[in-house]
Amino acid sequence: MATAEEIAEAYADWQGRCNGNARLARMLRGWDRTVHLVATDTGDGFTISVAGSVLADLRHGLVDRPDLVVSATSEDFADLFWGDLNPSDKYVSGEIVLAGSSEDVLRLDAMSMVAFLDQ
Amino acid sequence: MARVDRTADVVVAGAGYAGLQAARDLVVAGLDVVVLEARDRVGGRVFTERTASGAVVDHGGQWIGPTQDRLRALAGACGVTVFPTWVTGANLEVREGEVHPFTGLIPTSDADGSADTVATLLDFDLLAQEVSPTEPWGHPRAAELDASTVAEWVAAAAETSVARSLLATATLAVFGCGPDELSLLYALAYARSGGSMSALIRTTGGAQEERFAGGAQQMAEQLAGALGDRVVLDAPVVAVEYGPDGTTVTAHRTGPERREPWRVGARRLVVAMPPATQGRIAFDPPLPGARDQLAQRAPMGSVTKVHAVYDRPFWRDAGLSGQVVADRGHLRATFDDSPVDGSHGILVGFIAGGVDRASEAAGPEGRRAACLEELSRAFGSEAARPVEFVEQRWSAEPFSRGGPVACLGPGVLTGCGASLRTPVGPVHWAGTETASVWTGYIEGALESGERAAAEVVAALGAGA
Repeated sequence: MATAEEIAEAYADWQGRCNGNARLARMLRGWDRTVHLVATDTGDGFTISVAGSVLADLRHGLVDRPDLVVSATSEDFADLFWGDLNPSDKYVSGEIVLAGSSEDVLRLDAMSMVAFLDQ
Repeated sequence: MARVDRTADVVVAGAGYAGLQAARDLVVAGLDVVVLEARDRVGGRVFTERTASGAVVDHGGQWIGPTQDRLRALAGACGVTVFPTWVTGANLEVREGEVHPFTGLIPTSDADGSADTVATLLDFDLLAQEVSPTEPWGHPRAAELDASTVAEWVAAAAETSVARSLLATATLAVFGCGPDELSLLYALAYARSGGSMSALIRTTGGAQEERFAGGAQQMAEQLAGALGDRVVLDAPVVAVEYGPDGTTVTAHRTGPERREPWRVGARRLVVAMPPATQGRIAFDPPLPGARDQLAQRAPMGSVTKVHAVYDRPFWRDAGLSGQVVADRGHLRATFDDSPVDGSHGILVGFIAGGVDRASEAAGPEGRRAACLEELSRAFGSEAARPVEFVEQRWSAEPFSRGGPVACLGPGVLTGCGASLRTPVGPVHWAGTETASVWTGYIEGALESGERAAAEVVAALGAGA
């Protein structure tokens, strides 16, 4: 189990890597979205916003109307942001659940994969 | 029309999954049906065989994945169980002669190339979301997308040679042809019909997720068993006369009860085969030009499927999944194809596209030697000594003419696509190439059979 603070710390690391990645910037062009993260074990909720190819700081709580909802254990969120797990594997095995339009799901799956590779 | 040997409401030409599904639905609707099958077996491009060493191998279609609901329901009804494709352990990427282990979907030995592959695949899949799998020629930019090959698109979209190479391998594995042979519009529609290209190339979570215990042909045999003597084997359809009143279908029976030609008169005909084999049937009167052009311009992929059978799946001991992605050589993609009980170890691989055609001269022995050398490079010297090595050369199969699917080049969908499913008088079209979902897969074959049967029932009304 990971606390909200641990997830926030891991996210900050991931955010730094994502925002410094030119290929991700290309993939995020024109894709402004609000993403909710729901930790299935602790019940914690977080909000990520993407605007102008930049990932904003993590907000605690489920804020605004989401375009995408990602459900996983708190541990998986922390591992994902630290780059310790391959998000694509977790997604296809159903341990991470993405809910949203098919385009948004494809995009989030791909961008998390690229962020994973860039470390 | 001329004297006939048998009459029926409907003739179905082809006893693959498309034809068998159509026949079943037509029988349920109360119609009198005759199924004419060219081979001495049913299943078409799905063919399970027990080899000399006792291994059960699928020479053709063999996997089932998420959203293939018709196939899953059919397997359930037939009492055939599915089990996950073996994915435990590291996959291997063979690039420029070096072997690199990786996990997940995309090889990772070159991080930038891998990221570029993911980004390019995403661009492809986002574009695919815009394309209707039913009427891809209706896309506002259809002419432009259909004027390009997949290779031309990838050359512009990808920034690295690694991405171009990996996507070429994916094309070979999925279509049995290189990206330079495929229309971009066709590939987009094809990917969209199964969800996305990512879904087609995935094992877990995609088209290769699970297998059938005992093989993928069993459901075809059960469908045929239920149809009984309505299914006539060794009866390739060679000629079709048709008009407003119906059709006379001529088969050249080649089995023990040889009596050729054998003619069946019917009110309707469902042609359930790939365009390339349909094109060998003589139609009188001739088919409309666009339909005949389609049959000429829908060549089958080139694929030889090989199985190396071992006493046990020894690669699992080394922490390997059996999956290989290679940038050159004969086998660009392999999977662990061992039975669920692990009683044998089996690796399955595909020789595809231009490599498959070029391997004609090498013959079975030459292909075997080349494949075993490549398997040894990936899995060690034990791989060089299989108990048995079998190949199924689909390119040389007269009643499939290749596999796994038709590979449409530029201009075909926009020029002739509208004739793909449009009935010609009493003649209806089925086969996975005509499917709107999972085109090229068993699921697509079943959907096409359902659709063609529904067309016939709508035209004739249900029988008594």
